[in-house]
Parts: sequence; C-alpha cells; structure tokens
Amino acid sequence: MPDLSFRVEMAGDVPVVVTPEDIDITNAAAFRTALLEAAGRSRTFVVDMSRTQFCDTAGIHALVAAHKQAGGDGGDIRLVVTSAPVLRIFAITGFDQAISSFSRLDQALATP
Amino acid sequence: MTAVDPVSVEGRLRSFQAITDAALSRLDDRDLLAELLDRTREILRADTAAVLLLDFSSGHLIATAAAGLEEEVRQGVRIPVGRGFAGQIAAQHQPVILDRVDHTTVLNPILWAKGIQSLMGVPMVAGGKVIGVLHVGSLTHRKFTAGDLELLQLTAGRAAAAVQSMTAQADRVAATALQHSLVPSALPAVAGAELAARYVPGTGALGGDWYDVFTLPSGELGVTVGDVAGSGLAAAVIMGRMRSALRAYALDSTDPAEVLGKLDRKMQHFEPDALATVLYAVIEPGLGQMHVALAGHFPPVIARPGEAAVLADVRPGSMIGMGLQARRPVSTLPVPPGALLCFYTDGLVERRGEVIDDGLDRLCRAVTAEPAEAACAAVMAALVGNEPARDDIALLMVRRQAGKEGDADA
Repeated sequence: MPDLSFRVEMAGDVPVVVTPEDIDITNAAAFRTALLEAAGRSRTFVVDMSRTQFCDTAGIHALVAAHKQAGGDGGDIRLVVTSAPVLRIFAITGFDQAISSFSRLDQALATP
Repeated sequence: MTAVDPVSVEGRLRSFQAITDAALSRLDDRDLLAELLDRTREILRADTAAVLLLDFSSGHLIATAAAGLEEEVRQGVRIPVGRGFAGQIAAQHQPVILDRVDHTTVLNPILWAKGIQSLMGVPMVAGGKVIGVLHVGSLTHRKFTAGDLELLQLTAGRAAAAVQSMTAQADRVAATALQHSLVPSALPAVAGAELAARYVPGTGALGGDWYDVFTLPSGELGVTVGDVAGSGLAAAVIMGRMRSALRAYALDSTDPAEVLGKLDRKMQHFEPDALATVLYAVIEPGLGQMHVALAGHFPPVIARPGEAAVLADVRPGSMIGMGLQARRPVSTLPVPPGALLCFYTDGLVERRGEVIDDGLDRLCRAVTAEPAEAACAAVMAALVGNEPARDDIALLMVRRQAGKEGDADA
C-alpha cells in the first residue's frame, strides 16, 4: 500500500511540502492541510513533487487555492516537478503558466 | 462548581437516550428536531428550546426548530457567527450560560421580548465542525447546573448526528436532481450533423461534469464540455451556474476565447474558490470549420474518414478560476464531410497508476468516423467496459454527415 501522506520539512527557513506518489480525491484534503501548515510558517514555500507520478484536478485545486492565498499574502509557492505525467497535466490545465516550477529542489530553494 | 446528583442525572440520561433513539429512527427532519426539542425542554424543565443551524456559505446561524420559541423560526432569525449569544457559542466551540438576557448580552430581541431570564446554549458538533447551536431558556431566573449542561451537550451530540445524516442524504438527492435537470438528455436536431452523448455519474460523490450543445442565432453550433473541481451538491450548483453563464456569453460572441474569458472573469469575481476545466467550440454553419478554445481541458479527438483518429492540435489555455487574465488561444480546424468530433471529460481517459497519454491513445484507437451513436457506444465499450469509473464521464460526439449535405469546398 503506497504511502499517500504529505510531510512538511524545513530547508533552513523555507518550509517544503513533500508530496507522495499519487495525489487525488482521496488525499487532497491532507494536501490542503499540509499546504496550510507550510503557509503558516512562511508566506513563501516550496512544494516538492519529485516523487509524484499522478496528480489529478483535486490536487491542482488544492495547489491553486494555496497559490492564490500565498499571492494575496505577498508570498509565493515554488514547485519541484520532475515526472512527465505531472508536467503533462500541468501543461494541459495551464497551471504551468500560473506558478513557477523547477526540476530540482536546490533550484527552487535558491531563487530569492 | 455545583454538586451533581449522579442518580438523577443518570436516570434522566437513560430515559432521554431511550427517547432519542426512538426519535432517530424516524426519517422526517423537521419532526425529528421538534421532538428532540420537546424532550429537551421537558427533561431540563426549561421553558424554551431552539436549534439554529449554520449556513456555511453565509456564515449565519439560522433558527431551524424551536419549542416554546417558535417566533425565532417563523420570523427567520439569522445570527452571524461570532455575534450575540448563539454566534459566540458557534465561534468559540464552547457552551455559554447567561444569567441576564437583554440587548447587552444577546443579539436576538425575540429572546428578551419573550421574557427569558436565563439561557444555556451549547455548540452542535459533527465531524469536528460546528454545524449549529442548541439552547434552552427559562422564563424565571435559574442557575443551570453542570448536570444540566452535560445533558444538553449529550442532546446536542445526538441532534448534530441526526442533522448531519439528514443533510448528507438531502444533498445527495438534491445533487442528483440538479444534475438530471442540467445535463441535457435531448440533443438538438441540427441539419447536416449527427449528435450523440453519454453521461455517467462516477461511483464517488456526484461530480460537476457537464456537456452542452446548442445552436446560436447566427447559425453556428456551440459545443461545451466541462468539469468542475470538487464533488457533491456544491460542485453541481457551480456547474449549473457555469453552464448558464457560458450560454449567455455565447449569445454575444462567436469567439470561443472571448466566451471563456468572460466566464472566467465572472467566476473569479463571484465564486473565487471555484475551479473548472472547460472546452468551448463554435462550429460554423455548414459544419466545415470548428473554432475551439480550451480552459485547462483536454483537446477534442477528431476522426476524419479514412484516417486514424488523433487528438486535435489545439493549444492549451488556463483553467477557469486560476486567476490568470491572459486571452486563451483559439485553434481553427477543418471538419471534412463524414468527420467525427469527440468531446469528453477526464473521467473517460484517466486511470490511476497510468500515464495520461495511455488513456488518450486508447481513446483515439476507439474513435472512428462512423455514425455518432455507434461511435459513442464503441468508445464507452473500449474505455469503460465493465469497470465502474470513480470519476464522472461526459462524452459528446458531433459528426458532419457525408454526402450531399456536406460542403463542396471542404
């Protein structure tokens, strides 16, 4: 049974939400909670999706809501996305136009 | 703290539980609450009892049932969360006992107009969330005891569970009724075209998928397919609003990007939390060309006679509700006589543990330039088969008829 939970880790001052292999309706609520937790620690944070192979609109919904909230607070969300299926879904939904994404965690953290 | 007489409390608890169990077996919601309140009043020897339920969209507590205080319900009392007696209980998740009832302690004038001298209220909690407030009042001064409070909290727990299950059931029924009324079962008759469609609700909670097809006053055919994020009644309601708004904007412009842009602006302003993918296509009179814009939705599949079906080459545009302002690209595709266009939602092609391209390939292999109804059947057989889909599926096929009706310069 794959682990479908989300962790919030700290890379220095920057919270990093680490997402599991699958994000869908069954764990979207947990995703929202993790995003809220990260936002509570810092207006700008990273979502590391390098382990994620599947993300449907439930996951995107959670990210969009968090992204809008962060923007409203003067902050920013940065994604680390590596898998082709996730990149594809982000391209189709136009989400890649809305949010900055990187192929490596250190790149996402390095940006001021 | 006042000493509690365990015998009398336990006795009251047992008789109360027996009554509420019997009451809960009844299905009628108003009667159930009314009965609970009557028993509450009796067992606590109070003069009034009332339930206010939280309306999440407005943040107001609405008086729903009352015994000895029916005016609250009949006069449509609404209390904002955080304000007044009930509002404070809901905001703090904590009971409140008042020894003085007047305009300084409560918001609702009915309470002191009635002559209530003491009030005790508790939050109604279900699934960790406050869904309402239950309160009892006395027309003579009274010190509510810890035992009274405990009884009221127990009652509130029962009432909350009953309300929750009634609401969930009511929502399911309402969502289904709404869906049935919105997703059209009859497709318009269009000269020179064949239309066919399928709509299958998923096994999960009802979603917000829809398709729509209509002729425009200037003779074009408008085609919509969409998918509202979320599920249940809330998604169905948003879907209905989007369908309606899109139709209105479609009457004003045959530019699909303009229609989607206006829809997006409307949703962002009035329903900023809503998110959806939508495809809107305008097919010219004569059916020789299609102009299509995408809001985060998959492109249509097109099968031309004698060729394998392919995903139409349509550039992506952002989802509705994403907060972006950029105009979406419009792609124009020729539609030769006999060609079949296939519009769908992601429930048809998405499978857990699979790359999306596999599902899209499977769809393309199943679509051929045959009569629309047969094409629908073939696609559903190939992609759904006998597997229940968790997500909703909406599928719409439009075929330009071959032969004389087809345009000579296609």
